[in-house]
Amino acid sequence: MSMQSDGLADFHWMFDLLHHIDVGLVVLDRQYKIQLWNSFMENHSGVSSSIAKQQSLFTVFSDLEQSWLQQKLDNVFGLKTPIYISWEQRPHLFKFKCYRPLTSIADYMYQNIAIRPISGPNGAINQVCLVVYDVTDVATNKMAFEAIQQGGTTKA
Amino acid sequence: MSTKVLICDDSKIARKQLAKALPNDWKVEIEFAENGQDALEQIAANGFDVLFLDLNMPVKDGYETLEALQGVASAPVVIVVSGDVQPKAIERVKAMGAAAFHKKPATAEDIRTLLLELELFSPNAQASETPNEVVTAAESFTLQETLQEVSNIAMGRAASVLAEMLNVFIKLPVPRVSILEVGELQMALEYSVKEDSCSAVSQGFVGSGIAFEALLIFNDSSFPDMATLLGMTDAISREHETELLMDVSSVLVGPFMDAVGKQLNIDFSHGHPTLLGQHVRIADLINVKKASWKRTLAVEIVYEVENYQINCDLMLLFTEDSVPTLEHLLSFLAEDE
Repeated sequence: MSMQSDGLADFHWMFDLLHHIDVGLVVLDRQYKIQLWNSFMENHSGVSSSIAKQQSLFTVFSDLEQSWLQQKLDNVFGLKTPIYISWEQRPHLFKFKCYRPLTSIADYMYQNIAIRPISGPNGAINQVCLVVYDVTDVATNKMAFEAIQQGGTTKA
Repeated sequence: MSTKVLICDDSKIARKQLAKALPNDWKVEIEFAENGQDALEQIAANGFDVLFLDLNMPVKDGYETLEALQGVASAPVVIVVSGDVQPKAIERVKAMGAAAFHKKPATAEDIRTLLLELELFSPNAQASETPNEVVTAAESFTLQETLQEVSNIAMGRAASVLAEMLNVFIKLPVPRVSILEVGELQMALEYSVKEDSCSAVSQGFVGSGIAFEALLIFNDSSFPDMATLLGMTDAISREHETELLMDVSSVLVGPFMDAVGKQLNIDFSHGHPTLLGQHVRIADLINVKKASWKRTLAVEIVYEVENYQINCDLMLLFTEDSVPTLEHLLSFLAEDE
């Protein structure tokens, strides 16, 4: 009995960790239906996990460029290798408000995204995980730096 | 009567591994060749029954060797053993007369099955207890040799994934391994990337005391063809170029590191790929004056896409303090099997 409750306790804290870690985690199946939607995604999007789950990602976020993202997801499924999206190519894949709306100069959260294949017990890839990193500070700093550099060359 | 076997591979480790993988109960005389030219000369002089042939070699590669063997009356049965696992590579060598293809590294079990299928060998009931005496156990390999072979296998796996995404054939070189001073690295980069303007992405890896960066550098003239292959029809904006860089680096670097990690038995942690620069001079990618490091162990692989003007340079740059650990891990690899 104690073994079983230990297992349950382990599962509980791991789940708690997944939910409260400060990066966005979304697990999708081959039909792009949401399997996992952690607190980061819930809180930034305003869509609760119970509503998001089992719905297509493209239904929940109708403003996503479906053909573009779908090609990326399909490549991850097909090639079985992660694909990365940088904030420089797609600044706000999910249009979330910036974490510090009052003191930051950015209106929206800049994001780096990793799309990773998840292999099942038999090695088959039936799910992918989107990991959403908030890189607003990095992005705003880099843009400010480039603006200064360009300003400098114009004056010179 | 024993079978005359020639093993042709530029890597000393690959030659040794393959010789060891041959069935113990197969009566053979084994000779070695370091490249296709060497193999052809030995075949002309001595004649062989079976040739194990690598594809990516200096002087004369596997394809050229197969071509030269076409029409030779007493040509050996050719079994290609290569890290280049692109479906098109396999198709090509078979069309050129190879009897079989096997991916590197091949285990004794694989080779046995293959030889039985090709009816080149039948198990001997009175198996000789003495294994084929071709390799002395004490033979040792340098870091360069082992790392080159590990990279060679990883390079083939990565090319196969990129080839699948783009539906093309990728021409593979022989990986170059060298220890470079900071200034020499810049010279090496300038030599490889012949154009004035390039773009680069870097991703950092760390695990088991080994740290390195995977740097992927594109000639800027590669973008139009890359855009065509990935189905981009609009004019190429800077954002599109970033997209192409990120996509190609994802599918080249990911599988490459996966294959390196599997060989070394390390599950590397890695950062998000970072755009180092767009339309910059190669000299500006690495700041020689500000660099705090002095030397690096570098593995360089130049990928080219056949029939397209696409050229990119994958550089693995290991930190100096990773070298002893890497050397240690690689020495096990050479001992095994």
